[in-house]
Amino acid sequence: MQFAQIRDRVIAEPKSAGAGNLSTLAGVWVNSNPETTGITRMVITQSGSQLSLQVYAIGPEGLIDWGSVDIDVFNATPASQVAAGFTCLYDFGFVETRLQAMILKGLIVLAQIHKFKGGDNRVDYFVREYFALEHGRY
Amino acid sequence: MTQTTEFKLSGQLDPALSDPATRTLQADKLIGRWLNTNPETQGVAEIIIERAGESFLVGVLGVGEDGLITWPQTKATALANLEEEAGQRALALAVDFDFGFMRAETYLRVNKGVLVIVAYYIFLDDSRRSNYVNREFFYRHA
Repeated sequence: MQFAQIRDRVIAEPKSAGAGNLSTLAGVWVNSNPETTGITRMVITQSGSQLSLQVYAIGPEGLIDWGSVDIDVFNATPASQVAAGFTCLYDFGFVETRLQAMILKGLIVLAQIHKFKGGDNRVDYFVREYFALEHGRY
Repeated sequence: MTQTTEFKLSGQLDPALSDPATRTLQADKLIGRWLNTNPETQGVAEIIIERAGESFLVGVLGVGEDGLITWPQTKATALANLEEEAGQRALALAVDFDFGFMRAETYLRVNKGVLVIVAYYIFLDDSRRSNYVNREFFYRHA
């Protein structure tokens, strides 16, 4: 087995179709900062063994619906079957936004990498924000 | 004739993004040799960040069975990090390492003198290992 760090030298159980617990990610996640100038809300929906994400961001005149994309799920370790994060890509033509999420202490820590394309003179940039799951219990 | 600026969120309209000085925000804070704060790590032992003109090169040493494993030195994408905690403005780096059997999509940032790497590991072989995410912390080697 090839590895670039000893942590990855593990014997993994065979994966079955739809294996893994995706429920840790599914739900509505709300930005902890009500003054954000970025993503306000993420809706993660499970369909079989696939998760999709719908993003809502704040613009000068209100919310902007980014639409829905499939996400790639990441577990906590190479032998784990529990979802602990995800990545996905939104390509808007003038900018490409990669989202990289990780669950920490019940929050999603979301890194956003915005790369402008073509003749756009804006600097590529990085934002990191926190999202809490709307659980409806209290 | 007026030029419109496209956006998908308000943050993309931040005037600082059009300021050339933003490209080199606190770049020196990233440069150097960084050691994992956890001496028992089974992951990344060391990160070396170098400046190459306008670019950044990132080298990594992973912990192996019989010593350290040298990852391929890889060019990073520099990113303005305008909203770091405590109002810091800095640079972050995005680096994708390709091993053939595995890819590691990472980002690195410095917060209060600590280098943080968040890595998304994607296995491309038939080992049945799960893709996973991991975070590790590094201090600057004197």
